[in-house]
Amino acid sequence: MSLHRIRLIMWKEFLQLRRDPLLLRLIFIMPIVQLIFFGYVVSADVRNLATAIVDLDKTAISRELEADFSGSGYFTIESYPQSEPELQPLLDRGEVRVAIVIPEGTQARLDRGEIAPVGIVVDGSDSRTAAVGSSYAAQIVARMNADRITQQGLALSGPGIDARVRVLFNPSLRAVNTMIPGLVAAILMLSVMAIMSQAVVRERESGTLEQMFVTPITRGEYLIGKVTPYVLLATLQMSVVALVGIFWFRVPFHGTVIEVAAGLGLFMVTVIGLGLLVSLASHTRQQAQQTVLFIMMPMMLLSGFIFPIESMPAALVPVTYLMPLTWAVLLLRGAFVKGVGFSAIVPELAVLAIFAVVIFSVALLATRRRLSE
Amino acid sequence: MAIATLAGTAPDTAAAISVRGLTKRFGEFTAVDGIDFDVPRGQVFGFLGPNGSGKSTTIRMLTGSLAASAGRAHVLGEDVLAHPARVQRRIGYMSQKFTLFKDLTVEENLRFYAGVYGLSAQQYANQRAYVLEMADLVGREKELTANLSVGWRRRLALGTATIHSPELLFLDEPTSGVDPVARRQFWDLLYDLANQGVTLFVTTHYMEEASHCNHLAFIYRGRLVAEGTPQEIRERATGQQILEVTVANPDAALELIAKLPQVADAYLSGDTVHAVFQADVGEQVFAESLIAELQSQGFGEVSVVPVEATIDDVFVSLVSPERATPARVTASRRRGRPRPRRRRE
Repeated sequence: MSLHRIRLIMWKEFLQLRRDPLLLRLIFIMPIVQLIFFGYVVSADVRNLATAIVDLDKTAISRELEADFSGSGYFTIESYPQSEPELQPLLDRGEVRVAIVIPEGTQARLDRGEIAPVGIVVDGSDSRTAAVGSSYAAQIVARMNADRITQQGLALSGPGIDARVRVLFNPSLRAVNTMIPGLVAAILMLSVMAIMSQAVVRERESGTLEQMFVTPITRGEYLIGKVTPYVLLATLQMSVVALVGIFWFRVPFHGTVIEVAAGLGLFMVTVIGLGLLVSLASHTRQQAQQTVLFIMMPMMLLSGFIFPIESMPAALVPVTYLMPLTWAVLLLRGAFVKGVGFSAIVPELAVLAIFAVVIFSVALLATRRRLSE
Repeated sequence: MAIATLAGTAPDTAAAISVRGLTKRFGEFTAVDGIDFDVPRGQVFGFLGPNGSGKSTTIRMLTGSLAASAGRAHVLGEDVLAHPARVQRRIGYMSQKFTLFKDLTVEENLRFYAGVYGLSAQQYANQRAYVLEMADLVGREKELTANLSVGWRRRLALGTATIHSPELLFLDEPTSGVDPVARRQFWDLLYDLANQGVTLFVTTHYMEEASHCNHLAFIYRGRLVAEGTPQEIRERATGQQILEVTVANPDAALELIAKLPQVADAYLSGDTVHAVFQADVGEQVFAESLIAELQSQGFGEVSVVPVEATIDDVFVSLVSPERATPARVTASRRRGRPRPRRRRE
């Protein structure tokens, strides 16, 4: 094992990387695009929904309701139609997404101790907006009811229903807080696997591998020299994502760097192993590319990174635990948002360690075999 | 001409290469089947055979990049199968493909390989000057090798393969895809190396190139079928008269030609049929009767020209005992009979 030769291979790998503007751009642009994608587009909280208020009551209670809605940040009051018929065209044209209809006599009903119905109309053409919008609206109404009960010392059987929902860990329900930690792991997987899978197959295709192996370069030296530059790059990428997540998207970081580094380190070894295996099994770069896609798609979908595991069919749930990404996402979310401490992430670390050891050993064995053929 | 009976003797450690019973199996397939040969130091040794006959596999075992299934191989006095690292520092290898880094410059490639072989700064400076001069690349050090044309690439590859002054150089079809003039220039460089005492182990497909060698060995289906000086090999081939037949449907024409009584042997050579005929039949007469015969069978446009024996033709004559009757011609072709290679680059 010669450090000198390993350094030479790293040097040539960096030179080649510098000459490959597409790959280089990909490496730096990909995390940024992914951040925008997952930070703003996919996880975008429904904010500033265009809202109309049809206040037919014009009392203290209706003004209070209106203030609560506009103060929540989720709704922007765009217009005040005077009647329900005036509201319909606004919804039809998509000028408003949500409408709150406060019927005449709401104040009076409440005063009499009756339940006062308030209409919330939601544009259902975008199911996601509709679901989020209506649940926010329901929450606001519920909270208002609760406030009234406590203020006026009314009995719990009083008007309105207390539907208070307490959300743990992510009180603002910001999806970005669960997305960004998962994204750190996903970016690592995307970039390391995409590049590693191409690395060896490319050198075999071009014959440069053949040439290197008649020189004193050993298989071990080659592998270390080949992998190290990409490990460094991937670390850089992850750090960018994590830092942008914490400082730009204001994702809370309650864990310790050591926890995160340990988990990501193990996950990185796993992913490098997977990438190498793909590279060794493929005869052409196209094959490698397709194989990577074939592995990555289910990993992304079944890891709970995008879709919650709880909402998957029961038959699929055991499969999700076979995905290394599942455990990396679990660990990172725990470390970022919950700050659960080292003892709580031991199971995740243990599973990731098993994946790392098994997959990397198989990759090493395969390397010895394939590169000697 | 006969194959020396080396089998069972001990490898000659004074030779540049000494191989005994060397075998490589890939699963069911035996790529190299117990070959024996010696290459004395300082010799230009031509290793010839059709595609898939085991040439490259043999080279890969001798350069320590492929493990053997059985047999012994000594390179420069060292057991290369047991200790490839002891040999790799002292040998050079040039592939038929361009195997330097295309996205690195001339200079960077040289520096990489100089570093791999552990050359000192002073040695590198000397060798760099020598290689650039030899490859005619002075002033183009900063150019990416991807931008070099084939001839320059070949010479740079040769320079890189010899940057550490190896005692033995393996060249796997070094001039494939190179035009005849550049091929001649390339061989001048090889002669320079040979004159410096470097042993050359060359595979080739060109008869003209094979005649540059001191000694030739023919490998066919993993076995050595003949060995000798180019002179001896040529004598074997001179008895042959060959007509090259170009028709639209060579496979069907082959069946017909192979059945003709005057034809000693017939086989496909690229898109044409080579018909070997007995010398006592007049060339002109035979050519005309061949055209008449083919046209009467509805073959349309037929062109028949006499050709010099190529390496492939020599092969066919060398391996003809294995091919029994002309009726087996088409069948044996599928099992990898010699055909001129399609050039790849």
